[in-house]
Amino acid sequence: MTPSHRDTLFLEEAVITLHDAFEGDQYVLHLKAPECARRARPGSFVHLQCDPLLPMRRPISIMRAQREQGIIELLYKVVGHGTSLLTQRKAGERLSLIGPIGHPFTLHAERPRPLLIGGGVGMPPMIFLADHLRGQKGVQPLVLLGSEAPFPFQARPSQILLPTLPAEAIACMPLLDDWDIPSRLVSQQGYPGCYEGYVTDLARLWLDALDGDTLAGVEIFACGPHPMLEAVARLAADFNLPCQVSLEEFMACGVGGCAGCAVEVLTDAGPAMKRVCVDGPVFDANRVFF
Amino acid sequence: MTESTPSPLAVEFCGLRFDTPIVLLSGCVGFGEEYTRIKGFSNRDAGAVCLKGTTLDPRLGNPPHRVCETPAGMLNAIGLQNPGVDTVVGEILPQLDFGETRFIANVSGSTLEEYHEVTRRFDDSPIDAIEINISCPNVKEGGVAFGNDPAMSARVVEACRRATEKPLITKLSPNQTDIAANARGCIEAGSDAFSVINTLMGMAIDIESRSPLIGNNQGGLSGPAIKPVALLKVHQVYQVCRDHGIPIIGQGGITTAEDALEFLIAGASAVGVGTALFYDPLICRKINTGILDYLERHGLATVEQVTGSLRLNAPSKPRCGCY
Repeated sequence: MTPSHRDTLFLEEAVITLHDAFEGDQYVLHLKAPECARRARPGSFVHLQCDPLLPMRRPISIMRAQREQGIIELLYKVVGHGTSLLTQRKAGERLSLIGPIGHPFTLHAERPRPLLIGGGVGMPPMIFLADHLRGQKGVQPLVLLGSEAPFPFQARPSQILLPTLPAEAIACMPLLDDWDIPSRLVSQQGYPGCYEGYVTDLARLWLDALDGDTLAGVEIFACGPHPMLEAVARLAADFNLPCQVSLEEFMACGVGGCAGCAVEVLTDAGPAMKRVCVDGPVFDANRVFF
Repeated sequence: MTESTPSPLAVEFCGLRFDTPIVLLSGCVGFGEEYTRIKGFSNRDAGAVCLKGTTLDPRLGNPPHRVCETPAGMLNAIGLQNPGVDTVVGEILPQLDFGETRFIANVSGSTLEEYHEVTRRFDDSPIDAIEINISCPNVKEGGVAFGNDPAMSARVVEACRRATEKPLITKLSPNQTDIAANARGCIEAGSDAFSVINTLMGMAIDIESRSPLIGNNQGGLSGPAIKPVALLKVHQVYQVCRDHGIPIIGQGGITTAEDALEFLIAGASAVGVGTALFYDPLICRKINTGILDYLERHGLATVEQVTGSLRLNAPSKPRCGCY
């Protein structure tokens, strides 16, 4: 480490500006955290204190950063004690957070066809990345979102047609449609307009239909449950595409001090344990699934 | 603060000056620079920083999950992930700013020979002191932790003592019958100081999968849950140390200035802060301020006057014989 790492993270007492509940124990949380909002990049996360009495904070991906307003948007699902306590916190209250943490996704100019795949509460970094990509000249992203809980937004039929995909897969995330970024929703729950199956099944259909030149411009970005990421990594390998995945792991310090969140990653020197917090959370898929 | 500045918070520890009684604990702050990522955090707010456990060769450590939350605490089983002593001495120590605080190495090993050799490498380095993690499994004797047995503990201290003149701090385990007897043996073997206590071994189980949450199945419990246990152990070890002038770094669940003061009163000369950093990375300043307030309220010139100032209640006749 060199002194350049110093003062790159911020401890903020963030004010809750919005806390909305959605079906399936999902919540959207807006926090006034100006330092974090200003510096967050797609893939960054915050280490949030769900309750002052809990010894461990919870790492939660950033879904959007409104830089001007100093607000970050998060999506979380209740999975245990910490997130359950978090649901009790109301607008106007303060939450302590550390952020923005982690290496973000890296974009490559020679890959102008990013394929963004998000599953469940792994959707937020994909939305942040889409937000970053919108309006970028020559870049044509596609976003595929999968969920087995009702989507935490009102889905609607997309205005952007994708002729190579099955016609029945028409539901989109309206925000992405508004940004002129095509998106499709996937679930096994039979939600209207959603492709029925796995998100990787729909991705495969899309990739299969691409000509060689277009395919060579694709790079995959993914965040979601571990089995989904494993399937995404296999898909990327099948099509010989670069793939970046964002991981999560139980985390204590969030700043690289405790090595509690380390996962096995293949390095040039062989297998190594890398910290999801500061070495990740974004890793090359073929370094994680090997 | 400089050597010449008299500060009520400064303590003398094995001939070293700590600007404050706070020691950042091994395993919580990496190799000393990780927390400086956070704006507002400074190693200067701690009297000393204890580096991550270091072994002779690099170690990958344990599979995930390595940490999990438990009531008022957490379990960890990192498995001594570290790049090996050569990298630590050759590449990491030169990056540290010894003007900010004192740095303490933490030596771990699987054999007496490894403890000796790692200590020897640190002896030939700018490190200020060496803490011995005697809670490692002894691979030559069935994997029982050295620190669980007084005789084995003493042998580890002896092996390290032969390798260095630097202050040696032995980190005592609570996972044993008589911590005071262990401390006695370690003093005879050459320990200059003690860290009291290391984590308590524990387990957490996922009832759906029926598997332990920690990849290593068991882990060390830290946090406020262990504070009363740690405090009693400090009190017990202090009874042995007092007459020898051997200082103690009291640790286990300290999250406030009041917690720190309890440990000082029980006999600690310095106080360790680890898990509390996970609650609040800027906790050191708050603890320092709280201790200063206490000193002022009690008309004390220095925190050293608090050490061992415990006033035990007068022994009463047992009423039921239970305790």
